[in-house]
Amino acid sequence: MNDNHQNLVETMFPSDGSGIKPYEWMISPTRQRQWIDDKGVFLWLAFFFSEIGAGMYFMSLFYSFRPGIVIGWLITLVLGGIIHMLYLGNPKRAWRMLMRPNTSELSRGIWIIGVFAVLGFLQIIIPGGFNMVFNFIMGILCLLIISHGFATMNVIRALPAWSSTIVLPLSLISGIWVGQQLLQFVFVLSGNSAMVSGMEVWSATFFLIYFLCIGLYAWGTWHMSDVAKMSIRKMLEGDLKRITLIGVGVLAVLVPLIFTLIMWGGNTNGFLVFLRLASVLAGDLAIRYLIMKTAVYNPLL
Amino acid sequence: MPRWGMVIDVKRCIACWGCTIACKEEHFLPPGVFFNRVLIGETGKFPTSSKLIYPILCNHCEDAACVEACPTGATYVREDGIVAIDESKCVGCRACMIACPYQQRTYYDEKAKNQEYFPGQGKTEMEVIGEKLYPFTLGTVIKCNFCSERIDDGMKKGLTPGKDEDATPACVNICPVGARVFGDLDDPNSEINRLIMEKKGKQLRKEFGTEPAVYYID
Repeated sequence: MNDNHQNLVETMFPSDGSGIKPYEWMISPTRQRQWIDDKGVFLWLAFFFSEIGAGMYFMSLFYSFRPGIVIGWLITLVLGGIIHMLYLGNPKRAWRMLMRPNTSELSRGIWIIGVFAVLGFLQIIIPGGFNMVFNFIMGILCLLIISHGFATMNVIRALPAWSSTIVLPLSLISGIWVGQQLLQFVFVLSGNSAMVSGMEVWSATFFLIYFLCIGLYAWGTWHMSDVAKMSIRKMLEGDLKRITLIGVGVLAVLVPLIFTLIMWGGNTNGFLVFLRLASVLAGDLAIRYLIMKTAVYNPLL
Repeated sequence: MPRWGMVIDVKRCIACWGCTIACKEEHFLPPGVFFNRVLIGETGKFPTSSKLIYPILCNHCEDAACVEACPTGATYVREDGIVAIDESKCVGCRACMIACPYQQRTYYDEKAKNQEYFPGQGKTEMEVIGEKLYPFTLGTVIKCNFCSERIDDGMKKGLTPGKDEDATPACVNICPVGARVFGDLDDPNSEINRLIMEKKGKQLRKEFGTEPAVYYID
């Protein structure tokens, strides 16, 4: 085969398997690529930042802690928003995403983020912004934003691993848990050791629920259908196996567990809080990556 | 107003790929982009195994998952049942691609646009003409449109889609064994409805509840 033929074959059917072979397409369970491969990684990061920002905002409401709210608001809108725009093929038309809230989960999410942006800004600048009504509304908006990414994925019936019932609880707790960890670290930086110590009860509680949700997701998906089971299998094969073991096993579960036990009863240490936060951030990214990367469609035949 | 649909006789299909190529030609599709595919699979185990040949295209579902998922309204169902894309509204979020259980949509980006059928030798005259005659918008999603240009133009001339070639999708015209029949699903006397009734036409992956307009018979 000469070079031109070799190039042609490589163009049509790249060795990484990304090329479309029309006769093999959807014959066996086929992995979704659009929302994780190539520019799809932006969506993975956009969901992550929007959700942890909203999680931090949510937790800050309980402490009426303005810097936490400002940081959470900025992470959600600036980091989450900009990265989301980078993903879109035509970002200049993004305003059009407000047009279909009646049917599209994505459109509903954009509305919620828009309302969150306006009300959040008002809460930040108004002196009496931390009243019960405002906090309640913002709390609800935060929970909706936290669950927005996975809710968008959850409604897709064709991808069994995403339509698992535990996806939404996992998404909620992961946003709150990571947000709480961020807030605790901000308290460390502000030198408020009483608050850091007091928050440790939440850390232990959220970690436990998070751990249970990860387990339930894996168990539920495994028993859901053959195609869903394949998603879990893919997490334990090839390169993804390393991400599962190190990202989920070590960073999302083991390290936070050890540090939580060390700081049990409020014996907190700023450096350990920082290490746990770093581990939790990496671990949560890994979990989200795996869930998005391993989703497979039911074959057509 | 008719509701266009298609019947594909999988027993007649010989997997000649005529539909795939005719479609590529009709829409000037770049390498790696297919609006029509022929899936070949197997069922059972030797010696009782059988080969499955399924020509696949957009199912133009009545209750389309892609339409539901589209946040901008760029994907919509026309009055005649064809699921179409208004590329001027498409934001390129690819929610429709993710939602489609049949995976019949393609994202048209720089990578797809710049692919050459003969890599390193520049685009052929045909490819250059195609980009002018049938331009796609970068950063949008593209898919089979049941050759709606042919249908619309043909109907303006008083032709009948499914009967007159000039008003019928290219994949139907090209099929050498007549495995594809195109017609009005809302007309009880149409050929397509007769075939669906007589041969108990089946929709692909009916369980998703999208009510496809493409039926398979054997």
